[in-house]
Amino acid sequence: MRNLIKAHERVKDFDWEHSYAEKPDRYPTKYKIPRKTKDPFRHLIRDYVSMEQEKDDRQYGAMEDALARSNSAGKAQPRWMEILKIALPTVNFGEYAAMKSCGQLVDTVDNAELRQGYMAQMLDEVRHTNQEIYLNRYFAKHAADPEGFHIGLKARGINMFGIAGRAALEAFFVGDPIEGALNLQVVAETAYTNPIFVTLTEVAAANGDNVTPSVFLSIQSDEARHMANGYSTLAAVVSNEDNLKYLQDDFDRAFWRQHSFLDPFLGTVYDYFQKDRGNSYREKWTEWIAEDWVGSYISKMEPYGLAVPECFAVAEEHMKWKHHTTAMLAAASWPFHFWRWDPLTQSDFEWFENKYPGWYKLYGGFWENFAQITKASDGINPMAAFEALPPLCQVCQMPCIMPRLDCSEVRFREHVGRTLPFCGAMCEKIFFDEPIRYEQTRNFWQQNDGTSLDEYIVNSGLLRSDGHTLIAQPSLDTDRMWTIDDVRAWGMEITDPMVAISAQLAVTNGSGGAPASNGSSNGSSNGAVNGTSA
Amino acid sequence: MTAAFPGAVGCAGKPTRDFTYVASRRRRLSEYEAVTCHTQPDVLTFDQVGWMLRDANGRPPWVTESTALHHPNWFAFRDPASHWQRTYVRMQAEQERGIARSVEDAAAHGVLDEFDPVWVREILGRHYRAWSYAEYGLFRAFAVAQRETLSDTLGNVYCFEAFDRMRHAQAIVLHLLELEDHVEGFADDGAKAVWLEDPRYQPTRQLVEELVASNDWGELAVVTNLVFDPILTEVAVSQLVRRFGPFHGDPVTAHLVGTTERDRRRNLGWTQEMVRMVTDESVPEREKNSEIIRDWITSWTPRVREAARAMADVYDVPPLQVARFDDVLAAAQGTQEQLVEGLPLSVEVRV
Repeated sequence: MRNLIKAHERVKDFDWEHSYAEKPDRYPTKYKIPRKTKDPFRHLIRDYVSMEQEKDDRQYGAMEDALARSNSAGKAQPRWMEILKIALPTVNFGEYAAMKSCGQLVDTVDNAELRQGYMAQMLDEVRHTNQEIYLNRYFAKHAADPEGFHIGLKARGINMFGIAGRAALEAFFVGDPIEGALNLQVVAETAYTNPIFVTLTEVAAANGDNVTPSVFLSIQSDEARHMANGYSTLAAVVSNEDNLKYLQDDFDRAFWRQHSFLDPFLGTVYDYFQKDRGNSYREKWTEWIAEDWVGSYISKMEPYGLAVPECFAVAEEHMKWKHHTTAMLAAASWPFHFWRWDPLTQSDFEWFENKYPGWYKLYGGFWENFAQITKASDGINPMAAFEALPPLCQVCQMPCIMPRLDCSEVRFREHVGRTLPFCGAMCEKIFFDEPIRYEQTRNFWQQNDGTSLDEYIVNSGLLRSDGHTLIAQPSLDTDRMWTIDDVRAWGMEITDPMVAISAQLAVTNGSGGAPASNGSSNGSSNGAVNGTSA
Repeated sequence: MTAAFPGAVGCAGKPTRDFTYVASRRRRLSEYEAVTCHTQPDVLTFDQVGWMLRDANGRPPWVTESTALHHPNWFAFRDPASHWQRTYVRMQAEQERGIARSVEDAAAHGVLDEFDPVWVREILGRHYRAWSYAEYGLFRAFAVAQRETLSDTLGNVYCFEAFDRMRHAQAIVLHLLELEDHVEGFADDGAKAVWLEDPRYQPTRQLVEELVASNDWGELAVVTNLVFDPILTEVAVSQLVRRFGPFHGDPVTAHLVGTTERDRRRNLGWTQEMVRMVTDESVPEREKNSEIIRDWITSWTPRVREAARAMADVYDVPPLQVARFDDVLAAAQGTQEQLVEGLPLSVEVRV
């Protein structure tokens, strides 16, 4: 029996003071990290690879054996399976970005204990990246409707919500490595992996999909170690008082960056794609984020100088409606995407009203109407119901309609001769604190401005294998599916709404310049899509 | 088969049941390609909207200046070993189990007690343990390099090599801990001082520190896998620790070294493939790439040879002279020269 304590001590004594060549400051950090801290990673590589191999064998073995033979993927609720077409590739970038974040941390954090943890996490993230794409491919092979799964990572790149996902997740590894760790380990992994990898598996299983839980729960078994990395990193940061002057701002920003995408996205996945219904996303959010993460973790950091972000209260209030608003826009813009919607039914309405009192009054009309315009033979353009499609926030890339259309916190600000949209005060502040980080970002509308919708669909590969039928559909109806000809008949052109909004604001202000803030309350100043509906 | 299930679509052509966005190297998409390719966004193909975030200096997530090498499509790289996490971890778990089992068997049969005491104290306890720091340094260098590589397929081989290096470093430590349990009075506690102060190891330490400080991921792989390992690791580890061991009653350590040599072969293989890729006739900058690689090899090789020569005295330490240092170094240099000659460079490499 080898002496484990000695072994751990020695493998954490590999660092030395370099004297021949000075390492460049590749990823500068303003934080000072002590050389010695608590050890978050209590595994030797020998034990780690053995443990991971066993977990891999169990998970991949189940997928190829019992789950394949029972055709779990083929028999799952189609409503649920559809949203995995975007959910899997989007979450996947988080894993890949995390791998890069760990490389930065190994370089920057001069602390052998923490480095060991980052090293194992780095390989874990390759594991998760591979697992999720393996699952995506598995569904391409076994799902009842594979179209959409077969273009996962390509479709992520061109999809407006895939792009918004990248905006949040790039924060794991672009910038100060410690700020990256706050985004990744302290917020995304400690707060959000439970809603993603634990509670979503309950929804999946309840809806007949036993494959996703096999993968997600195996991933989550690694996340506990990553949370420990986050805790140790945070403990190291707060141990030096000089760090506290930066920490709160960076932490607030990290929470908001992750919340602004993950909550509307996960809430839509969770609440709008359950068929056999259980808890609501808000219930799970309250349990995991408000009570567990804030209540049992972050609030206990207060004696050390870290407070719950002020914007948390805003987020908590937004959680009542934010994802419903997102889901409404996502459904209305269904031809842009690569999954099918299953229109809500009366029993869904009752569930929503029960879980979110007041929901029907605010959203029921939209969904009642949506269910009426799904027939391709009617050819109705769902976007025609909106005066406009909204601008996308310069920071989070989410539509500027939050938390609700009727009380949107959208604001427009001028920056270097351009009028830029922000979804709310926090994204606006984040931008103006460090404009250099966001000012070059182009959004989905800008990228596709001037393209006709049918051209966008064809060029993006969003047609089924007959080259005619859309992958995206507003319903699961297969009698007469929507084709590219139906969309072409709308004569729609994608336009960047900011062109018209900027012009309108200039007229309003009479000077050609944009107002300082709160230029519009609902983002409906002009159309993102011009055309006529059939 | 699935047409009978709810949600199936039977009226829009025969559905494609595999990824269509990966350019497979072979007729059928491999598992390795399927789970690896395009996990890194590419603003030249699917992610043309561009980067969403920059650092405080305006730098985007990835920059082409991270290596002096040029290629129009780094995503075309394929690992010749086709490793993804599952196959990589399975291989390393098997290697680690093999090491643990061979040490366990050796301990059970009293083999560890038969090791020559000078061998244990000087070569394993000081020399080989000092080498673990070199491996750790290379772990750090590759961990950073994987952050910067310009495609997912490259990022993964760099990440795996980083992990290899940490595995080697830890395996040495664990092996010596076993010896502590069985060889009375043995401890490796002087090795860090050897690494930091012994003149015989300072040129190696300098090389490792320079590799950790280097900012070009292409250079790191070329220098480590085509120069450092074939000459220095070959002389310091393979020809000494592996080859001399059995003559000093130690058939066990050779097994450990063997697993590191397996990793070395794999890392050499993908580095050769990377060189082939950037010098392929389809690459507009192939001439420039050849010159850059030549310059890396010609600037580092003399210093790596020098670092190997600095260890010449270590070959005098084992009681039995299994091989002469000069012969070993000459052979390693010869093999490395052949490796370089075998690279498809359009320029001659003269060291």
